[in-house]
Amino acid sequence: MSAPVATSPGTEPLLSVEELHAGYDAADVLHGVSVTVGMGEFVCVLGANTAGKSTLLRSVSRLVPRSRGRIRFAGTDLMALPSHAVPGLGIAHVPEGRHVFPDMTVEENLRLGAFAVRHDPAISGRFDGVLRLFPRLAERRRQRAGTLSGGEQQMVAVGRALMLGPRLLILDEPSHGLAPIVVDELHRAFLDIHAGGTAILLVEQNTALALSVASRGYVLESGRVVLADTADALADNPRVREAYLGI
Amino acid sequence: MRPSLVLAAVALTVAALLPLTLDPAGYLIRVLTVTLLFAAMSQAWNIVGGLANQMSLGHAAFFGIGAYTSTILLVNYGLSPWIGMLAGAALGAAFAALVSVPTMGLRGHYFALATLAFGEVMRVIANSWPSLTGGPAGISVPFAPDSLLMLQFKSTLPYYYLMLAALVLVTAVFVVTKAGALGYRLRAVKENPDAAEVVGVDTARVKTIAAVMSGGIMAALGTAYAQFTFFFDPETVFGLGPISIRVALIAILGGIGTAAGPIVGAFVIIPLEELANSWLSAGTAGLSQLVYGILLMLIILVQPRGLVAPVEALAARWRTRRAR
Repeated sequence: MSAPVATSPGTEPLLSVEELHAGYDAADVLHGVSVTVGMGEFVCVLGANTAGKSTLLRSVSRLVPRSRGRIRFAGTDLMALPSHAVPGLGIAHVPEGRHVFPDMTVEENLRLGAFAVRHDPAISGRFDGVLRLFPRLAERRRQRAGTLSGGEQQMVAVGRALMLGPRLLILDEPSHGLAPIVVDELHRAFLDIHAGGTAILLVEQNTALALSVASRGYVLESGRVVLADTADALADNPRVREAYLGI
Repeated sequence: MRPSLVLAAVALTVAALLPLTLDPAGYLIRVLTVTLLFAAMSQAWNIVGGLANQMSLGHAAFFGIGAYTSTILLVNYGLSPWIGMLAGAALGAAFAALVSVPTMGLRGHYFALATLAFGEVMRVIANSWPSLTGGPAGISVPFAPDSLLMLQFKSTLPYYYLMLAALVLVTAVFVVTKAGALGYRLRAVKENPDAAEVVGVDTARVKTIAAVMSGGIMAALGTAYAQFTFFFDPETVFGLGPISIRVALIAILGGIGTAAGPIVGAFVIIPLEELANSWLSAGTAGLSQLVYGILLMLIILVQPRGLVAPVEALAARWRTRRAR
């Protein structure tokens, strides 16, 4: 079980990142990273703080100014697109650090999530779905997002991403700085979202939690993939256990 | 009717009737005319500064482009300032699009400094190209008898109404923009540019559109100013203090991002400047500037979110009460 696990052999994965070099200003952060996410798959990326996990996710959303390599999503070459064209393809990105629109209400925040697909008649149904997934947002519907607690803001950010009706949901450190009870609630929601058929690419500092929800994972170290395996195998891997699980 | 509309109608009626009680050749109506012009300029700045949250300190560039374009066309070719105004607005809009390219990725102070530099560059160019602009000696609008076509009048009264119409027009553009699709996108960009981009808002395009609108309007107002004063030099239309900082200050002090902010700000700052100058300039040199500065600081300290902020808060409370 040490070789990278392929996703349903014979078919092209939903997202494929090949030999990605990416970075900011002077130095590259990623040095030839290859990652795939299959249709409806739940994949996590593990690693220390400066391993390049966020840079990988931000490269997929075309938010990293300098990048070369190949990124394909459902047959489309993402490298040829500007960042604002990415959500229209069905990639929803929840950036690190709870990026809500603070002076907009919860409802306005959610509705803006469907901006790229604003003529889609399915939007109102999705809106109800988000409020069912996070009932607390229904109570806070007319409240300014900036006045919510950290956990609630993260729910807004995730709910906003779901308004796109994404085929791939990118989650960057969604539980960072949140109380354990809220983290559990969020991760239950992620499992629900995944069960609905959405592929998820998750970056998470909390390795145990990430491996408990994802089916496959990659370990990044200094901008390179050093391990790629099923979540169960990674959880049993001595190197992962020592470095990231502290066992 | 919404209370803000009632308030606007009352203010407009007062503004339309007020000159009838004033000496049409007097000092007061000139101050009011300048106040209306600066309110309109600040409202144009508000499209970029208030809606896109881009603190431009270079709006004099557009203003000066408008003033010089129409005046040069008038002096050299006898073209009506109305045509010059359109040409100037087109040039101002084009220059705004051009400046947007290098400043697009800049945020906060860096954007302010970059725009400040562009404004200063225009001032230097105007000073060092006397064959076109008249250089530091300035340029005069050639005298013509009273005529709407040539936008020239002996009395201040027509200029008062010209500036009032300009202010109403620019404010309408601001309100419609803010409430429309572009305003929605600009709000997203203003509140969180990264999040706006990941939901699919083309932040660069949205900011450029706002800059082009703002720059074009600012240039048109430059023409109105040139026709009103008859004479100007690079310092008066491209100046950092006289134009760029002033229009930003008026909007910030009145209430940035609100339609009423630049109007309230202009009606506080411009008369205040005049009072400080006329009452105190006879005394110790620099005293008027000192008093003016202290007053500005007091206003900022007491009402940091702008003079219209308490009214806005009151209106918001009234709306929520009615919504229940």
